[in-house]
Amino acid sequence: MENKTTISFANVSANYDNGHDVLTDVSFNISGGAFYFLTGASGAGKTTLLRLIYQLHKPSKGTIKLFGKDCDGISHDDISQLRHKMAIVFQEYSLISHMSVFDNVALPLRVRGFSSEKIKKLVTKTLEWVGLGKYANSYPVELSGGQQQRVSVARAIIIQPAILLADEPTGNLDDENASRLMELFIQMNKLFGTTVILATHNKKLLDTYRFPVITIENHHVTFSGATNETNPDLRKWKGPKPQSQNDFIEISKQFENIGKA
Amino acid sequence: MKKTPLVFSLVKEQSVFMTIVISAMTFLAVLALGIALSVGTGVARWNNEWNKYATVQIVNPENSASVKKILDTNKDKIEYVKEISKSEMEQMMQPWVSNGARLNNYLPQMFEIKVKNTSDIPVIKEQIASKAKFLKHSSALKTSISAGWKLVGITCLILSLILISIGVCVSYISRNIAMLHKHELEILNQVGATDKFIAHQMQIIVAKISSVACLIGFVLSVPVIAMILSTAHSARVGLLATLTLSGGNIIALILLPILIVIFSVYITKKTTIKILSRS
Repeated sequence: MENKTTISFANVSANYDNGHDVLTDVSFNISGGAFYFLTGASGAGKTTLLRLIYQLHKPSKGTIKLFGKDCDGISHDDISQLRHKMAIVFQEYSLISHMSVFDNVALPLRVRGFSSEKIKKLVTKTLEWVGLGKYANSYPVELSGGQQQRVSVARAIIIQPAILLADEPTGNLDDENASRLMELFIQMNKLFGTTVILATHNKKLLDTYRFPVITIENHHVTFSGATNETNPDLRKWKGPKPQSQNDFIEISKQFENIGKA
Repeated sequence: MKKTPLVFSLVKEQSVFMTIVISAMTFLAVLALGIALSVGTGVARWNNEWNKYATVQIVNPENSASVKKILDTNKDKIEYVKEISKSEMEQMMQPWVSNGARLNNYLPQMFEIKVKNTSDIPVIKEQIASKAKFLKHSSALKTSISAGWKLVGITCLILSLILISIGVCVSYISRNIAMLHKHELEILNQVGATDKFIAHQMQIIVAKISSVACLIGFVLSVPVIAMILSTAHSARVGLLATLTLSGGNIIALILLPILIVIFSVYITKKTTIKILSRS
């Protein structure tokens, strides 16, 4: 992936629906392949910032550019096209309850018109990768919170997004499941050069993984920490690994096929 | 290939409600079109038939010979000429004037003619007009024909209202489905589905429901139309007895439910895209 500006904010302000300011005059550039934590107090505007990037929220002022494209006044279809290169993971999982785990994960591929055969291959591999291979036919309600979050992550990463946004993905998880998820995100970032922005107020995560941090305070954004995701000081997670390296390499090959499709 | 929507599941009550509404609407629409077409066909046939008939009234006996000569000259255009006798006229007048024989001296000499082609009527009329009264039978029956066309107009208006109602109902139901599946719509949006794609998912659901509903509505309306036509034919004479459905009419009736399905699917697409563009 080219190391060029993927996300660009220029003097962006945003309001809540009730008109209260959330972000004021925010400007920054994020390059492709970066990994950032996004932190701030509850209600500071972490979710709003992610929603602004994902085009789920319109700025009241300023310009947002994604992959060099100005998002001001773009059509619904153009937003959909942008979302083909992005994925978002929410704390509350956002799964469809009447669809099986397989169908939930397959959704982004079906939306893109992939063949059933290809979908089956990719979904199976991705589920194995996130450690849910045997739950393909289960329904979300039959899974634990951690498993549901992994389904949500599997659905996000199956398209090998250029930008992966995660809004408090570990918020409902215990330490073990939180670490499993972090491993997945780091692997995505390292292997595919995916730009990851992970919102969290989990101090333990921030201390464990020394990625650069975007902090939202008093409606403004500040950057701190190393700006390179290949920071040699990065602490290595010593917790349980959720999947084998072989699975990961295999799915990587499948992802290459998506790019060619 | 089996078409299944990716995401939406329709709750039973909602799909039953939609099926009942569209069935009832289709039933009424097919009925209205059936009546409009049968009356229209009847009126057209009735008008066409009487367009070939005319009555020639010679009020001035001096013109009798010249009128007869004109009729003779046009023999090739006329299928038959029948002179109406005084006794026949007296018989016809009897309901209004008792003992019509008293009018004997006032009755004109009358001929009933039937031409081979409708286009021959104005030719003969032009030649006779200065010598005798020339009355087209269809002109005499124009009130019946006009009433028939008005009836066709009214049923077409009813059909239009039913189609508008179908549009409103489908739009309302589509809106409801979209509201009910707001969460799924959001997820579809999040995973990069275009508005067109989401609308297509909704169209699959509506196409399935409206196809079943239209079939039910059509099947129910057929015996009712048959009953109406059979009752009309039992009148034996007059405009009612001429009500009928041609082969083309039957094809139109079969096409109507198909058009309703297409119309429903189109309305669903419009409504869904409108809702999504506002979200």
